[in-house]
Amino acid sequence: MTSFSLTARALPALTGRVRAAPAAWSFIAVGSLAVAVYFLLPPDAQSIYYVALGLGAVVAVFVGTVRNLPRGERLAWHLFSLGLLGQVAGDAIFAVYEVQLNREPPVPSIADVFYLGGYPLLALGVFLILRRLGGQTGRAAVLDTLVVFCGVVLVQWVFFIDPYNHVHFGNEAARLVSMAYPAVDVLLLVAVAQLLVGPGGRTVAYRLLLASFSLWVVADEIYGLNASSYKGGSWLDAFWLAAYVAWGAAALEPSMARIAEADRRRLPRLTTMRLALLSAALLAAPAILLLERIAHHRVHSYVLGFGGAVLAGLVLLRLGGLVRAVERAGRAERLARREAEQAQRLLAHQNEHLLELDTLKDEFVSSVSHELRTPLTSISGYVELMLEDENDEQKRNYLGIVDRNAERLLGLVSDLLFSARLQGGKLELERSEVDLHRLVLQAVESARPRAEVEGVLLTVAADNVPPVSGEAVRLAQLLDNLISNSIKFTPRGGRVSVYLSARDGLVRFEISDTGIGISREERERLFERFFRSQSALERQIQGTGLGLYISKAIVEAHGGRIGVRSEVGEGTTFIVELPAAS
Amino acid sequence: MNDGPLILCADDDEDILSLVSLRLERAGFRVLQAIDGDAALEAVRSKRPALAVLDVMMPKQTGYEVLAALRADPTLGALKVILLSARVQEADVERGLDAGADAYLAKPFKAADLVAKVQELLGA
Repeated sequence: MTSFSLTARALPALTGRVRAAPAAWSFIAVGSLAVAVYFLLPPDAQSIYYVALGLGAVVAVFVGTVRNLPRGERLAWHLFSLGLLGQVAGDAIFAVYEVQLNREPPVPSIADVFYLGGYPLLALGVFLILRRLGGQTGRAAVLDTLVVFCGVVLVQWVFFIDPYNHVHFGNEAARLVSMAYPAVDVLLLVAVAQLLVGPGGRTVAYRLLLASFSLWVVADEIYGLNASSYKGGSWLDAFWLAAYVAWGAAALEPSMARIAEADRRRLPRLTTMRLALLSAALLAAPAILLLERIAHHRVHSYVLGFGGAVLAGLVLLRLGGLVRAVERAGRAERLARREAEQAQRLLAHQNEHLLELDTLKDEFVSSVSHELRTPLTSISGYVELMLEDENDEQKRNYLGIVDRNAERLLGLVSDLLFSARLQGGKLELERSEVDLHRLVLQAVESARPRAEVEGVLLTVAADNVPPVSGEAVRLAQLLDNLISNSIKFTPRGGRVSVYLSARDGLVRFEISDTGIGISREERERLFERFFRSQSALERQIQGTGLGLYISKAIVEAHGGRIGVRSEVGEGTTFIVELPAAS
Repeated sequence: MNDGPLILCADDDEDILSLVSLRLERAGFRVLQAIDGDAALEAVRSKRPALAVLDVMMPKQTGYEVLAALRADPTLGALKVILLSARVQEADVERGLDAGADAYLAKPFKAADLVAKVQELLGA
């Protein structure tokens, strides 16, 4: 049953993966092939083919999103679709110019609106995904992001944006648009950094997404450095096309539904990657300064000075947060230690108290027993005296009743005292080698008068058995309990048989009767303290419900087992097995 | 009157004291009574019985204390002592025997057991 339900539960996940994963890998395989084909085509065909490839990626992202994510969780990936669609639209306009008009579109053109508009959507998608995973919205994480952002801005400004200020453009709009590309790349760069330091436990989809962003941003940066010499169909296109393929595959991979393990830490983990990124960002200003000096380039002193100052400020804030976190942890630790010490003291105190209570209980039980036995001494003593002097049969009869009941009361007091000691877990045996053969015969002999009074035939068949290691007084008590129990529950004319034998290092005795029997339900509770069977209550058979409880405790203290076989109306057999002394 | 050996019975419960005394007298012993530990000690020292049957839980001095005092007295070396008590846990019995009692009998007791034990100790 269990294995079945396990399989049934595991099945959808398994088949789901087996069915869907190839979609992602097939997409990569086909995509790679398609990218290779791109470089074999003539220029005009390339332009159209490029648009087609981009469109394929957009469709893949859309299909994967709809397929893998429930409605309501699709926003981030739809933003990717839309952002990529912007690029494809830009490319399409380019293609129209190149194929139809045989020239590139003017700068600026409507294509730039689509290209530039796509970037914020892509970055926003990453932001939404990471926010859902957590670990990115705490104060420290935001400061880290800002540090990386500053570093990236410095690099972008000095090497990619500012150069356009020193180039001759036909119009200012063209200059601004040219500068806008490296500016929006800042968004992608920060998104990549965020993905890099994102939560651990990443899925295949996460890695694919990271790959696509990285490829895209690397292509953009290389393009930015050689913007003037770039021609459509260059090897650089492979980066953008590969990014398209990775994006589509990421969306088709079913693991995109749970893209990484959520991270609910207040402070982000200071991984090597995070440290490397932060160091790189911090070193941006001095590194640029050195590079410019060495290259005899115009030094961006204001920008670098200002950027360095902002970075220093951010680092100070971050450091302050760390110091406070350390202080908080220290306070929490001191508090926890104080609480632990307090708890320990309390525990020690309670322990002492329990020991005291235990002693008190022992004392109480012992003095109650004493106080009950004292009047019983007078009752039994004087009744015994009167019985000796009394000749009147009826009076002797009455006195016998008083005597038997005093005897019963005494048994009850002894059992209560004994079971109170068992409750304290205190049955310690004074062990010696006990001859059960002799003990069984003695027990049977002392029970014989009682059996005769009750009209029960008592027989014994005792083998010579090896001695057991135990306490003779307790074992005699056990035998007395079991034998007198059987006599008590056996109607007049019945029979109680005691057997003793040994086998395989175990000494075994059975006390078998032809009594009223015990039902299955009651057999389970038979050895519980104060348990009395329904038939015993109905037949008003006297007892306290302690005898079998005590018997079991004695057997267990001797390392043995006690069991019962019974048939209602047929009789009952108690079986005790004790290990023979080795 | 009896002319058997003299026995001291000490018990703060007068009913039990009478019962024990009666049983021993019927068995032919002469009996002295004491109702607390001090009186028991005093009686042993002044009357020199052959045997003392002491209750354990008695006022003024417990049976254990009386026993300890008796055993500490070198002139009482021949005195036999039976502790007769309703304290029946192993620890109590052990303590009594360790303190020098010749026998420890539990209450309630059978008359025959008590008499037999006394006779055994006195070699009668």
